[in-house]
Amino acid sequence: MRSRAEMERSGFYQRLALPALVVITLFFLVPLLITLSSAFIDEGGSLSLAPIISVFSNPYIHRIMRFTLIQAAISTLASLVVALAGAYLLSTYSFRFKRLILALSAVPFVIPSILVVLGFVIFFGNNGFLNTALMNIFSLSEPPIRILYSYKAIILAHTFYNFPIIMNLVATYAMHLDRRLEAVSYTLGASKAKTFFSVTLPRLLPAIISASSLVFLFCFSSFAIILVLGGGPRYTTMEVEIYRQARMMGNTGAAAALSLFSIAVTSLLLVAYNRSQRRLSKSEAYREPLSLEKRPAGLVGRVLAVLYTIITLLFVLAPIISVIVRSVYSSSTGFTLKWYRQLLNLERATSHMGSALTALTNSLLIALAVSLLAVILGTGLAASIERRKRSRGALELLGMLSMTVSSVIIGLGYFLISSRLRGNASLSYTLVVLAHLVIALPFVLRVMLPEYRKIPLSYAHSAWTLGSTPGHAFFSVELPLLKSAMVSAAIFAFAISMGEFNATLTLSSSTIITLPIVMYRLIGSYNYQGACALGTILIAVSAVVFIATGTAKGTHHA
Amino acid sequence: MHNSGLACTLNASYDEFTLNAEFAIEEGELACIIGPSGCGKSTTLQLIAGLLPLTEGSITLHGNDLTSVPVHHRQIAMVFQEYALFPHMSVAENIAYPLKLRHVKKSERTKRVAQLLSLVSLEGYEKRKSDELSGGEKQRVALARALSSDPQLLLLDEPLSALDAKLRKHLREEIRRIHDETGITTLYVTHDQEEALSIADRIIVMRDGTVMQSGKAEEVYHAPNSLFVATFIGDGNTLPAHLFADGEEERSGVVFFRPEEATVQITVPGEHLPHLAFNEATVESCEFQGGRYRLHTRWQGYPIICYSERRPKGKSINLTVRKKDLLYFEDGNV
Repeated sequence: MRSRAEMERSGFYQRLALPALVVITLFFLVPLLITLSSAFIDEGGSLSLAPIISVFSNPYIHRIMRFTLIQAAISTLASLVVALAGAYLLSTYSFRFKRLILALSAVPFVIPSILVVLGFVIFFGNNGFLNTALMNIFSLSEPPIRILYSYKAIILAHTFYNFPIIMNLVATYAMHLDRRLEAVSYTLGASKAKTFFSVTLPRLLPAIISASSLVFLFCFSSFAIILVLGGGPRYTTMEVEIYRQARMMGNTGAAAALSLFSIAVTSLLLVAYNRSQRRLSKSEAYREPLSLEKRPAGLVGRVLAVLYTIITLLFVLAPIISVIVRSVYSSSTGFTLKWYRQLLNLERATSHMGSALTALTNSLLIALAVSLLAVILGTGLAASIERRKRSRGALELLGMLSMTVSSVIIGLGYFLISSRLRGNASLSYTLVVLAHLVIALPFVLRVMLPEYRKIPLSYAHSAWTLGSTPGHAFFSVELPLLKSAMVSAAIFAFAISMGEFNATLTLSSSTIITLPIVMYRLIGSYNYQGACALGTILIAVSAVVFIATGTAKGTHHA
Repeated sequence: MHNSGLACTLNASYDEFTLNAEFAIEEGELACIIGPSGCGKSTTLQLIAGLLPLTEGSITLHGNDLTSVPVHHRQIAMVFQEYALFPHMSVAENIAYPLKLRHVKKSERTKRVAQLLSLVSLEGYEKRKSDELSGGEKQRVALARALSSDPQLLLLDEPLSALDAKLRKHLREEIRRIHDETGITTLYVTHDQEEALSIADRIIVMRDGTVMQSGKAEEVYHAPNSLFVATFIGDGNTLPAHLFADGEEERSGVVFFRPEEATVQITVPGEHLPHLAFNEATVESCEFQGGRYRLHTRWQGYPIICYSERRPKGKSINLTVRKKDLLYFEDGNV
């Protein structure tokens, strides 16, 4: 549009991007470059490719790379199977539980990975609720389901965490498709199943590919799940190895070299995902279709629907509810609030529980700071991007850039910086805030950009002709219209920060105490009930996000 | 031309066309810019307001050179096609916006808002929100808001195009009345030439980024300087000039006359003044317009529109047009 040229001349909109750009450059690019440069410096301190060569010629590393890619592929496949079954049901039948399933499928979008891990252990563990229930029902003496700390556990957890993404994206896309093609197929004599496989599925392919590339990305960069449920050097992925090399072996060169590989893969996957999304928005689903009344389910359909609903409930809700239940109940102690009392320092706490209240307070304060900063910077950046003619694409890319780097690597950069500086507690916590900010910014941008786009240029133009400076017009006319979007974005950023584990663990020293970190330590010392108490608080935060924002595009990340 | 008023020379190039417009309007005039879609009318307004940058040229308003003055200092208010009322503010807050910018005291603001609402015939609308207003009401609030900034020049960008015909007629009269009461120099863009003819003091016809003609409405209607202006404003009949070469010279180009200048020879006795005769024109259709009949006829293959007081009885009629009412255009085509 031509009037953007004039708005670009107005320095105000250009200046709006500056704070975000400064933060991204200083607190994302600089640490990243510092990290990656370690890959090119050998033991003696001179420039060389030795670290990279030694890392990538190591068969142990080859095994890890293979494992990472294969587990991601299998997890994606498993998620696909489960999700497509759901997508089939949702797009073919209309039945009572449809809304419920769709709502449930949005839940994993807002759950932090450490909570997934905990829920899994509590529900699927040897002493977990599932085994206990099965043992009681079938009078078994041994727990029938032993999957924890194994390959199966990883795949299962990934499937739980990710199949709703595919189902949500594909089902939403499918619901906008023109149903007449299916109707024609039925009239030509094809059964519902045959129609689904030969008519619907091919048309859904773009959405399926898009969702799968996203899920593969999440499974590839998975960290907390692998760390806890994998349980050992046999089941290590790239991200875990980066963490191990940097924090446990002190081998930053190797960690940096591995980071190069990780970044290369995640960038490629994000590009593939973006392309597929763009193709989706041009395709048939986004024109106004004629959707027919769905056929009511026959017996087979109803059975399938009930079965699928049970599976979804099991996968999605059961682990979460188990955490809440376990925090107040166990077979040995019965119903008790003691863990909450310890958490709130109302009674003397053992080991890690003693730091629980501090962790909670810290996490809340950090999340508050992060959400405020992220919304302010993100809104300014979004406005600046939207009101430009030139360099919009570059600026948007810069804003989204931190998504191409896994949180572990972001944390690594901060760890390297903090180990060179004489740290004290406030410096450490500042680094945590900055790391969370850098991670949350793209999500805020993704919310604010389309919302800002909706504001017509003529509002600002009007205000200018009435005598307002561009800055005053922005604050008095445009910003008030963004209020609810800003609140949504702030809630997102808050939840991202509260649940952030990967970067915080990687950069943390023993002085840093946040909610996810203490949960991890409690799990590690087998204090599951304490961990569940903390987990319940995280669930409460996630519930607020879920209700307040109501849909997909959540805080979901590895 | 007086020194006061608006004088502009606008040169700007875009992907779609190049704008090379030059015109002037007098202080207190209500001038209309009309032209086909894409001719640069809205662009002209945006350039004058300062919302678009000029490649070259100048804008002078009431003796002041505004060319490098930023938008918010130009004291030029603009009413946009989509009204652009601020949705989170009430009607009163919208209208008070420019007053607040100028630090007018609250009591003064309330008084002024009430005055303006009364001017645009919307008394009592202070507390309403913009989504509670009809199109016509929104337009009037936008106008009141523009006026409250006490502008030196008022720009209206197709303010009535989103409204239905009856409302358009009523509101254009309102706009004329408000203009007369406030006396503000106004520049009004529309593609509806009937609208322009009815309320404008001055009409500026634009085409492809250039001003074709600028003058009083009667001037532009009776003395168009080109075939384009002649056919754009009002109805007209165009015929090749060579049909009427009466021995004087070979005439190229076209001859043009308004429908009301053609007399239907039913009851009127034969024309005495020098005239052209169109005999045996076939009546193709006849519309009753209340006070008269509008006839579509065809003469030797060419369409001619004319008016008659009575419904023609037969299928063919005779028409005459006085030679002094004819306009010749060299470069036109039928």
